[in-house]
Amino acid sequence: MTAVSTPARGIESGAAGEVREQVRAALEKGKRLRILGAGTWLDAGRPVRANARLGLQTHAGIVEYVPGDLTITALAGTPLAELERATSAERQWLPLDPFGVEGGTLGATIATASSGPLAHGFGGVRDNVLGIEVVTGRGEIVRAGGRVVKNVAGFDLTRLMIGAWGTLGAITEVTVRLRARPEVDRTIIAPLPRDPHALEQLLAAIRRLPLTALALQLVNDELARRLDVGDAPCLLARIGGNEDSVRAQMAMIGQAVGARGTVSGGTGTGGGASGDAASSRTASGGALTEVSREVWQTLRECEHAESIVLRLAAATAMLPWLWTGATGAAAAVTGTYVHAWCGSGTVRMIVPADSEAMEDPAIAALVRALPEARRLGERLPPALWTRLVPSAVTDPVSRRVREAFDPRLLLNPGILGEVMA
Amino acid sequence: MPIDAALANRLARIVGERHVLRGAPELLVYSADGLPGYRKLPSLGVLPGTRAETVAVVRTLAEQGVPFVPRGAGTGLSGGALADDVVLVGLHRLKRILSIDPEARLAVVEPGVVNIALTRAAAPFGLHYAPDPSSQAACTIGGNVAENAGGPHCLKYGVTLNHIAAVTALLPDGSTMPLGGADEHEGYDLLGAFVGSEGCFGIALDITVRLTPNPQAVVTMLADFTSIDAAARATSAIIATGIVPAALEMMDGATIRAVEASIYAAGYPADAAAVLLIELDGLEAGLDGDARTVERLCLAAGARGVRTARDERERVKLWQGRKKAFGAMGRISPHLVVQDAVVPRTKLPEVLAEIHRIAFRHSVHICNVFHAGDGNLHPNIGYDANDADESRRVHEAMIEIMRACIDAGGTITGEHGVGLDKLDHMERIFSGDSLAAMCRMREAFDPQRRSNPGKVIPVRSCREWHMTPAGRRNAREPVA
Repeated sequence: MTAVSTPARGIESGAAGEVREQVRAALEKGKRLRILGAGTWLDAGRPVRANARLGLQTHAGIVEYVPGDLTITALAGTPLAELERATSAERQWLPLDPFGVEGGTLGATIATASSGPLAHGFGGVRDNVLGIEVVTGRGEIVRAGGRVVKNVAGFDLTRLMIGAWGTLGAITEVTVRLRARPEVDRTIIAPLPRDPHALEQLLAAIRRLPLTALALQLVNDELARRLDVGDAPCLLARIGGNEDSVRAQMAMIGQAVGARGTVSGGTGTGGGASGDAASSRTASGGALTEVSREVWQTLRECEHAESIVLRLAAATAMLPWLWTGATGAAAAVTGTYVHAWCGSGTVRMIVPADSEAMEDPAIAALVRALPEARRLGERLPPALWTRLVPSAVTDPVSRRVREAFDPRLLLNPGILGEVMA
Repeated sequence: MPIDAALANRLARIVGERHVLRGAPELLVYSADGLPGYRKLPSLGVLPGTRAETVAVVRTLAEQGVPFVPRGAGTGLSGGALADDVVLVGLHRLKRILSIDPEARLAVVEPGVVNIALTRAAAPFGLHYAPDPSSQAACTIGGNVAENAGGPHCLKYGVTLNHIAAVTALLPDGSTMPLGGADEHEGYDLLGAFVGSEGCFGIALDITVRLTPNPQAVVTMLADFTSIDAAARATSAIIATGIVPAALEMMDGATIRAVEASIYAAGYPADAAAVLLIELDGLEAGLDGDARTVERLCLAAGARGVRTARDERERVKLWQGRKKAFGAMGRISPHLVVQDAVVPRTKLPEVLAEIHRIAFRHSVHICNVFHAGDGNLHPNIGYDANDADESRRVHEAMIEIMRACIDAGGTITGEHGVGLDKLDHMERIFSGDSLAAMCRMREAFDPQRRSNPGKVIPVRSCREWHMTPAGRRNAREPVA
């Protein structure tokens, strides 16, 4: 048996061949490339010092979709909206819901590891990509992972490429896992206490519930108004499952919200006893309101392209304080939206760009107020990048990784704040 | 590689003389792992007992430029923990659970903590550690991290990688580096790269794992089929509904009969062509509805019957047959190859039929027991490694099975790793450029390529590597 068949080496996509030629030409001419998909997120990330563009938008389309496998393979330039259309016809979905205007591409979502509220229930980008094809800064086509849901063959280049912002390779094709759409999918809101201790008890009570919501967000009062769900900060929960399960989950959240009510007025001893006391009390459960699922789409699209977007991350247990600090600072700038993932301790702030405050006071005050939070820029003016989050490539291993895949700093140079030669 | 006595003495000053294994008799225990047919003798064994000792050992090896193989419990099935004339660093003495935070649902453990010991320690808080490989009573969390281990319950809860929040990595140069813990939005995912790197990127000094709340309710069912095809169709039908079972396992007739003839007899129908072991868990409310849907789909696909465990005792018994299936097969033949490959779920019926034809052609006895919901196959072949002709037929059948899985759009390993065993298949699924990229990724963590040399990527695929002594020690002929 000498002949080695190579069917599953992965047939390289047509896109990869073309992109490789462009990268090789850039290598020859000493050009530096700004990679773009639909071009809707070009203002995200640190400024890129490039003198040519590498466009992937024309490399679009679904390569393979077998609904029974719950996986889909598509070229990087495919709009998320197209995947949404194709999969919803089969009662399936790709549970990645990044923020920004409609039209964003699959490749950009993966490259920037941009997930949204559904990350609470389905994990982020890194949990949902099965295989990837990239053209490295050396001009090689590299394929990693595959089209199956479980795979440990070789070192995990797929994970390395997700969130690398194109600096290791321009993504040309991606395989992602899909989920069946839940039979019942409902969204409820509940009021949030303003006192951080009461908020802590509410979040702890919700965390102890034996359920996993599809999404669980905190939103501030400005954002609540924008979403048309009232005037006050609230908890926004998306619940899925069969009818019985959804009803039970909604009841549990209702109890948790009620439990907070009883505890906040008392000594704050917390624990199971107060929870039990609350369950009987909130049988009346007036705290929950059901709202349209449309709020999630509005949340995704609420920011203007000019807004400043900053993320703050801390341990989950710190969320009540991070939230209180962030919403307090936001109150100083009219029109600032703040929302947070209850499960991960990440807070996201959207500050209107026309605000006088953009050059400083609010954000600077915020950063001073929250020394232990990790700052992550999403969309910032150049000066703020330098001041707040100068670099994401600081350790020796990350520097060697960049060097290994893009030794000439050809791809999106500067976007991760790497030291430039 | 001759290890000079001076090095052994230096290591002994760090860990104590009785934790340095210098000679063949005491090293023999470490000459094999879970992959049958291979024996490799380390040049020296060193068993650090603390974090500080581990760091000192690796620094000493780095100063001398000596290659080493990290090892947990040695239960791996791909030969990844074999040390061929290089230093073996055994980590099983590092078995402290450093902390459990029930509110944050996180635990910090040393690498030698046994998988099931962590679940037991978390039990008082109503939590458990979700990845549950069949070897969970022996395998270590450090080994699970190295292999990105799976298990039956990964269908719903995800593999090891999905449960690791952070790791303190001890890089092969002796430096330590925190990995993970940040928002996923930007920067290179070095934690994701490290998990599943099969010991080639360094040692996990401590591991922060996510703990999973025990489900409120569990329903375990056994569906009985007269054809494998029908069982595979039922699997697809269940997955398509959107119900995500906690586990969805298939056992074929040969496996059922092996189990039922052993002390692990679970009451499986001995005349069935296949059974599905299906577990649903979650909220009490709605679970019965899902169970009825699953039952209906199994019957529609041709199941003769669906049995539901009435209590915990019955549930444990149904699972015992599955978890101990490998042990039951061990009764039948002296050696057992536990294979591992993945195919797209919709290809299960045709691939299983092809495996059957391959077994017939090579006159080998294959038992299939596997994670059907993931499309993760485990074709197992019992044989006698001392029988040269049978060993050859087993080897050829395995190669053909791998090819069939690759041809179906699948991959060569879903949870056991490449190690030594799958090296030859890597070039069938990855191009030269892709393999070279993996080599460079490894070098970012281990520029001298001293940690677990010769594993995962065939040395010949690493273009820049050919001249290095560390990469060349790769003798891999079976000892049978």
